[in-house]
Amino acid sequence: MGTEKIPSSVVQFALADRLINIGRANSFWPLTFGIACCAIEMMATGCARFDMSRFGAEVFRPSARQSDVMIVAGTITKKMMPGIKTLYDQMPEPKWVMALGNCAISGGPFAFEGQYSIILGADQFLPVDVYIPGCPPRPEALLQGIIELEHLVSDWKRWKNPEAA
Amino acid sequence: MNAPILLQPDETFILNVGPQHPATHGVLRVKMEMSGEYIVNAETVIGYIHRMHEKMGELKTYPQFLMNLSRMDYLGALGYSHCHVLVVEKASGIVVPERAEYIRAIMVELNRIASHLFWFGAFVMDLGGFSPLMYALQDREHILDMLEAVTGSRLTYCYFRFGGLYNDIDDDFIAAARRFIPRMRKSLKKYKALVTGNIIFRKRLEGIAPLTPEMCRKYGASSAVARGSGINFDVRRNEPYSVYPEFDFDIPVYHECDSLARYMVRMDEIEQSLRIVEQGLDKLPGGPIMPDKKPKIIKPPAGDYYQAVETARGSFGVRLVSDGGKNPYRLKLRSPTYSNMHLFDEACRGMMIMDALAFMGSLDLVIPEIDR
Amino acid sequence: MICDKTKQALQSLFPKATPEPAESSPAIPSSEAQEKKAKAPAPRQDGVVERDYAVHGYHLDAQVSPDQLLEAVSILDEAAFFIESITGVDWIKENQLEVVYDFSRYDFDTCRVVIRTRLDRNNPVVPTITGIYAGANWHERETHDFFGIKFEGHPHLIPLLLPEDADFHPLLKDFKA
Repeated sequence: MGTEKIPSSVVQFALADRLINIGRANSFWPLTFGIACCAIEMMATGCARFDMSRFGAEVFRPSARQSDVMIVAGTITKKMMPGIKTLYDQMPEPKWVMALGNCAISGGPFAFEGQYSIILGADQFLPVDVYIPGCPPRPEALLQGIIELEHLVSDWKRWKNPEAA
Repeated sequence: MNAPILLQPDETFILNVGPQHPATHGVLRVKMEMSGEYIVNAETVIGYIHRMHEKMGELKTYPQFLMNLSRMDYLGALGYSHCHVLVVEKASGIVVPERAEYIRAIMVELNRIASHLFWFGAFVMDLGGFSPLMYALQDREHILDMLEAVTGSRLTYCYFRFGGLYNDIDDDFIAAARRFIPRMRKSLKKYKALVTGNIIFRKRLEGIAPLTPEMCRKYGASSAVARGSGINFDVRRNEPYSVYPEFDFDIPVYHECDSLARYMVRMDEIEQSLRIVEQGLDKLPGGPIMPDKKPKIIKPPAGDYYQAVETARGSFGVRLVSDGGKNPYRLKLRSPTYSNMHLFDEACRGMMIMDALAFMGSLDLVIPEIDR
Repeated sequence: MICDKTKQALQSLFPKATPEPAESSPAIPSSEAQEKKAKAPAPRQDGVVERDYAVHGYHLDAQVSPDQLLEAVSILDEAAFFIESITGVDWIKENQLEVVYDFSRYDFDTCRVVIRTRLDRNNPVVPTITGIYAGANWHERETHDFFGIKFEGHPHLIPLLLPEDADFHPLLKDFKA
């Protein structure tokens, strides 16, 4: 799973691993995979006002082989699901998944009785690390999700928690 | 030594421009049969974001369905909601106060500008230029701020109600809109210098993908796809609805039929929308935003009704078949992008793949609207 | 006026039937009138009816039988209408499926025409109009997806919006997910 620190071979270099994880956390390369409305907020986050580039994550790679975060932005239908699973399998380790928006979390506004065509949430078939609720979530929420993922990946925090202080 | 594998002159291979692709603006799949760089045949496969809005229309009541239309086309959401509330009001005989209609028109036009700006950024990004996307989305953020202050949402609005609106606009909104109009005009000049006059841009679009008016008629194309081929069709002029007869604006029509004509139509439409917003703010009457008398439960009389509006993507229509109950008996959404996309298969035969993708960008596609 | 010309051309398809008088539907009918309508719904005869545009949103409403469909659509094609959409309606109580064709015009001589045909619900077959309007291709595939209506002569009648191996028709009233 993407949340555990992957042990290298017999010899463990704890400090080097920590440094590498900090590097990973500060340079996520998302996969350009916008499905529906949430994709627009993802693109707006990448642009000048909200600027994902401050966190190192503006490099959207079209190819799954070059990315390490899959931001599932939009409703997943049964027709699309094999494609998403293929893309996830094509990503090299370590990889993480963020479920952006209510549809990717649990089907969103389209989960109702009589539904025949959507999958109720990305976690039905993918291991999701961060859930970002909203319909669509504000770009600031996506940035918060990236920061949460940074905390998951490395134990280095960007700033202290206000409650802890 | 191995013999090289050469493609025979009549041999073709299948290239899958798959559901995940930066240029397809969503989950659209095009199976292209290629002979080298040229497309011999193309088949579009859709349905990867089919969320069954029409079935939901039958299972939900009329007010419950209001939120669905924003998710259908999220870039120009208010235009779509406008059509739905208009058809239900027409069927039920609800009279909308004049102030509400003017505010609706102003909001819809601002949303149209935001949609065209996003299309502009994404289109130039398809052709390889990344900077205009940043500028366009920055201008769009101003519009989104204005709309958010009144409606509460940035993207998927649920602002119109049957009979009017749920929230009135205030002086802050009017002042912000008045500040925005000259700012947007300045930006349009910047885009003209940066993009429209760019020689590489023009060479990539001039003469590409000619669409004859006859082809547009056979497929039912509308908006810039038809107006770039010389067809002077805009639902706001041909079948006026709401308060559009009060406004003085032009319909840009270009006769060259190529991708550059479709681009120019949309850029000119932004200026015309700014004119409508200006006139709307000048003529805005006072008064209530909801009617005094409105049925508590919306139950249009039995029969079928149709309403068409001009959205950013074309002529959107709602066909409502009612049996007098709380839920619609059948709610058909006629999506403009569906008809516009349909002619891609026939039109792109014989094109080079890079021209075909530029053509796809000039059609202004929003895939959830095709799939509904 | 193109509307009158089209109405006359369509009426020539029905030599025997007398044209019905133009319907004037009230804005909000009283509850008694609704009850009367519910008690005695007479099936509509084939023919052309003019509708009140301000209430219904279209001008001409023609009900044809499946054999007359191609002729009616050719009349509209020669008069330079464009195809707006094709859809279906499931009238389960009358055991019929209805296919509704919408046509409109590009010029300022506005005339919206609706053509309907009624089919038996157990065996819904209707000829395709893709020979006349190429844009009917996707509309007919979608109607087939949602209602199971077979369009005879369609070049490629496979699911469009549903998955390729789908064998259910969701918009039928007795469909359970």
